[in-house]
Amino acid sequence: MADTRPAVSVAVPWAEALGATLPPLVVQAERVAATVMQGVHGRRRPGQGDAFWQFRPYVAGDAAARVDWRQSAKSDRLFVRETEWEAAQTVALWCQGGPGMAWRSSRDLPEKRFRAELLVLALAALMFRGGERVRLFGLPRAFTGRGALAALAEALPRQALAPEDDRVPRHARAVLVGDFLAPLQETRNAVAALASRSVRGHLVQVLDPAEETLPFSGRIRFEAVAGAEHALVPRVEGVRALYEERLARHREGLAAIAAGAGWSFATHRTDQPPEAALLALHRRLAPA
Amino acid sequence: MMWQVGPLAFAAPWLLLALPALPVLWWLLRVSPPAPRSQAFPALRLLQDLPPVEETPHRTPWWLLLLRLAAAALLVLGLARPVWQPVGGGGGAGPLLLVLDDGWAAAPDWPARVAAAAGALEAAGREGRRVALLPTAPPETGEAIAASALMPAEEARARLAALRPRAWAPDRAAALAAFEAFRVATPGPIATVYVADGVEHGTDGFAALSGALAAAGPLTVARAEARPVRVLPPPRAEADRLVLRVLQTPVAAPTEATVLARTADGRAIASATLPFAAGATEAEAAMDLPIEIRNQVVRLDLEPEAGAAGTVLLDERFRRRPVGLSAALETTADAPLTGDLFYLDRALAPYAEIRRGTPEALLARQLAVLVLADREVPEGREREALARWVEQGGMLIRFAGPRLAERPDPLLPVALRAGERQLGGALSWDRPQALAPFPEGSPFAGLTPPAEVTIERQVLAEPSPRLTERSWARLADGTPLVTHVARGQGRIVLFHVTANAEWSNLPLSGLFVDMLRRLVALSAGVQGAEGETPLAPLEILDGFGRLGPAPPAAAPVAANRVEATAASPRHPPGWYGTPGRAEDAAWRRALNLSAQLPPPREAGALPPGTRVEPIGGVPAERDIGPWLLALALLLLAVDLLVSLAQRGLVGTQWSRAARTAAVLGALAGAPALAQEPDGAAALTARLGYVVTGDAQVDEISRMGLLGLSDFMNRRTAATLAEPHAVVPGRDDLSFYPLLYWPVLPDAGVPDGPAAAALNAFMRNGGIILLDTRDEGSGEGFNPGARAALRRVTRDLAVPPLAPVPDDHVLKRAFYLLQDLPGRFSGGQVWVARDQDRANDSVSPVIIGGHDWAAAWAQDARGQNPYATIPGGARQRVLAYRFGTNLVMYALTGNYKGDQVHVPAILERLGN
Repeated sequence: MADTRPAVSVAVPWAEALGATLPPLVVQAERVAATVMQGVHGRRRPGQGDAFWQFRPYVAGDAAARVDWRQSAKSDRLFVRETEWEAAQTVALWCQGGPGMAWRSSRDLPEKRFRAELLVLALAALMFRGGERVRLFGLPRAFTGRGALAALAEALPRQALAPEDDRVPRHARAVLVGDFLAPLQETRNAVAALASRSVRGHLVQVLDPAEETLPFSGRIRFEAVAGAEHALVPRVEGVRALYEERLARHREGLAAIAAGAGWSFATHRTDQPPEAALLALHRRLAPA
Repeated sequence: MMWQVGPLAFAAPWLLLALPALPVLWWLLRVSPPAPRSQAFPALRLLQDLPPVEETPHRTPWWLLLLRLAAAALLVLGLARPVWQPVGGGGGAGPLLLVLDDGWAAAPDWPARVAAAAGALEAAGREGRRVALLPTAPPETGEAIAASALMPAEEARARLAALRPRAWAPDRAAALAAFEAFRVATPGPIATVYVADGVEHGTDGFAALSGALAAAGPLTVARAEARPVRVLPPPRAEADRLVLRVLQTPVAAPTEATVLARTADGRAIASATLPFAAGATEAEAAMDLPIEIRNQVVRLDLEPEAGAAGTVLLDERFRRRPVGLSAALETTADAPLTGDLFYLDRALAPYAEIRRGTPEALLARQLAVLVLADREVPEGREREALARWVEQGGMLIRFAGPRLAERPDPLLPVALRAGERQLGGALSWDRPQALAPFPEGSPFAGLTPPAEVTIERQVLAEPSPRLTERSWARLADGTPLVTHVARGQGRIVLFHVTANAEWSNLPLSGLFVDMLRRLVALSAGVQGAEGETPLAPLEILDGFGRLGPAPPAAAPVAANRVEATAASPRHPPGWYGTPGRAEDAAWRRALNLSAQLPPPREAGALPPGTRVEPIGGVPAERDIGPWLLALALLLLAVDLLVSLAQRGLVGTQWSRAARTAAVLGALAGAPALAQEPDGAAALTARLGYVVTGDAQVDEISRMGLLGLSDFMNRRTAATLAEPHAVVPGRDDLSFYPLLYWPVLPDAGVPDGPAAAALNAFMRNGGIILLDTRDEGSGEGFNPGARAALRRVTRDLAVPPLAPVPDDHVLKRAFYLLQDLPGRFSGGQVWVARDQDRANDSVSPVIIGGHDWAAAWAQDARGQNPYATIPGGARQRVLAYRFGTNLVMYALTGNYKGDQVHVPAILERLGN
């Protein structure tokens, strides 16, 4: 937990600006990420990196500068010090914002946005620990290094409203988290634009349980979370089956969009533990 | 105007026309669906453009419909001003005349009478009638009876509340005259309500008055049925007992009355129960009282009837027997064992007041018995004075002796032979004679003469035919030993022996004491020396039989006419005497109302067409409109909550709903009590008051104890927290050292758990201050509280009580106090008698009526909202000081009482 301390201390100044939600979020993301690291191990092979990996005998062609003279002095042979391979992959993350995400059906559940940001930050924490580069849609620079989590969290509100960014490098990975309740065409366009640059990615749909089951009854006037749109349903019980059918069709559409681009699609509900979703994401992102 | 259905009447019945509109409301509520709940929903897009589904529209649930209809119906009913069991307003048209018998016969059930009259006023107020009051007893100012002017019912109610029953009889003839005067001033239709006491006073005035009332308009007579009106005339004093007689109006069922004999400090020391057979008008019973006890009795009270007619004050004539002793030679009269008066003095002193002197000096004062021991009465002024005194009722007891044997005088029951007879002397064959058994009819009958009493010498009576009937005691050979004769109202008794042991050993025996005692008890009481001395009224009985200061209109009575004076505003019943010697009981005479009352008889028949209403037992009418409206509001509040819940505005947050409900509950008037159930009350000392249910009284109690606690915190080392309201039996009383309990007139008997809790509280050292709030200067403020006190304490283990003695710890626990005033002053405060050693002599109950809480009360600005009576800052300070002493007494017990012994302890240490 040594690396969480700077994050917390950095988190303090902007805690007020972010409404005190993000600092615990960062910590929570660290904790969620740590539990995932226990189960899945990284690449254990020599390569570019800072951490010591192994000493190997000097072979012709190695640069003289790579010889570890202290180790070589213990015997007659020359040893080269190898570090662990830390080849950095760029992962672009997007967390859907907007008023629709700031909603929850009951006091016991987190808001969808909170859960989405938690997933994104936890994923980023994993990436930073693995030495990957992480960038956010709409922001010019990428984040890297273990201390970058706090900066990333600070940058979250400034990300683009839609997952569209020309600066995402080719062959990068993209992870889009949101409810994707917008018309399918918008999602299709965004995914297609990314896929055209050989970006592979994942869609994670975060929904509130009430959005899946429509647990209301009686005469209810449904209103948009922001905006004047509304729909008056005389008896909600009567339309529940129809709603579930419509939601299932929407999901099928999303899954089809993901499959068409070679992406994957997963769903997550806010009443489920975030670790499960994070673990699934990590499995998909981990090479081989 | 009123519309009545059974016991329910409506003052605004036209509003009931709105009731048929309820089905329309039902239909409207049925067809219009309830307002939809609003629900924010992000996945709104999926819900838009739903195909129309053929479904029944969402309906208001039936129970909500019923709730709203019930609320609407209650509103309509409540606004129609329903009255439960309305009291008839007298009917007819025009103003209402309220005639009220306020004589002595109205006192026992006065609150019920006032309630009946108030009911009539209520009805009159509802109908907007103006009211005139006509009490039938002469007012205590001595003015003539007059009807009041016409006034609104509200004002008449205040007048009615100020009325008190009088301690004299109503004058219906004068009331009739007042009514005629009223008719002259107020012609036109009137209706009359007559609250009558149902007794004929003096002449048959009732028929005339009710006839005149009935002739003027519709008449309603309210009277107490099946309730006897009782009179307790002064008792007859016999030796060793009082013969009581109670007169009453006949009732169908057998009843019984109890007479209590009370001492000057109010203790009841004897009681007698008089059973009445069905229809009987008179009952008699004897109250067996040794003369020593009887001498302490100052009044007899008829229970349970209160009132001046059931109260007899016993003055000197019933009590002390001043006995004058006179001997021929005062110088040797007291010589031990030989003196003429030596044995008499010792025999009489324990139970009679002994006076010494010459007969003339003794007769200058009132005297019951005069004993002349071997003293001749010379012709002249002394003999005349003695003869006159005996004629008036005095009892003259004479003892024989050498002087009397030489010179007999006319003041003897029998003619004596000259010289005396000697038995068993040196020159006589006779033996000393013993006593024969006392004959029947003698006051000594029942006494057994001891065999060792023998008579050696005596004077002999001349034989005469009447000697036998004049002999009360004889010797074994038949010669008379004690003879008597009646003279006028008095009598003369002669002992044919000396008053010392010279002629016989009778004065040495216990029989002598018994004989003298019976003779003194037989005497008619104090006689003579009264004359025309005017006696001023000292203390006056009010209609309820309570003593109070004399009103200004009360006038003195000549001493010899007290007996024959009928009670009236000028001469109200009570104590009369010479003001300067008020404390000398010998100079007080009692004027009793019942002495001059004829036996009560029921009033005559009512004029035809009169409506009769009973008094008492019938609950007063009740305006239930406000309750219905409150219930309707409560239902509407529930409806509001339900609607909010349905629209999602309160949602599942039951805590908030519960809070709202709690607030509504508090507004609905549920008494919010400050008692925490967790025993937080035990953490600090605090006072408690018993909740009476009357919000105003409870608030006074709270403010009073708050003010007292504040005073204590400022002036003493005691630290008292805010007082608590407690309900005995529900709250744990063990945290409170002191409970203040104001007794309301309508207070009932505490139920089982409450009585058990209070008894445990007192047993474990708690103190209860019971306050009837009507003593001393506050008399009459709270009529009925005494009876309520009796009810309240019925199941409580109250120890024997006595007035607070001057050296009681309560008067010295912190401040030195002379009396214990509260808002009122001058009444009696009672504590457990000192002999009671339970609880370390700390009285578990203190009973008084000074309305202490009102004196202590402080409002939020620290001011005292209730004026003291008779008033003054000093009384307030003393009230607070009494409170301080009381709390100190409750906290430290008799600790301060132990300080009394400090001088003795110091003295012992010094030795």
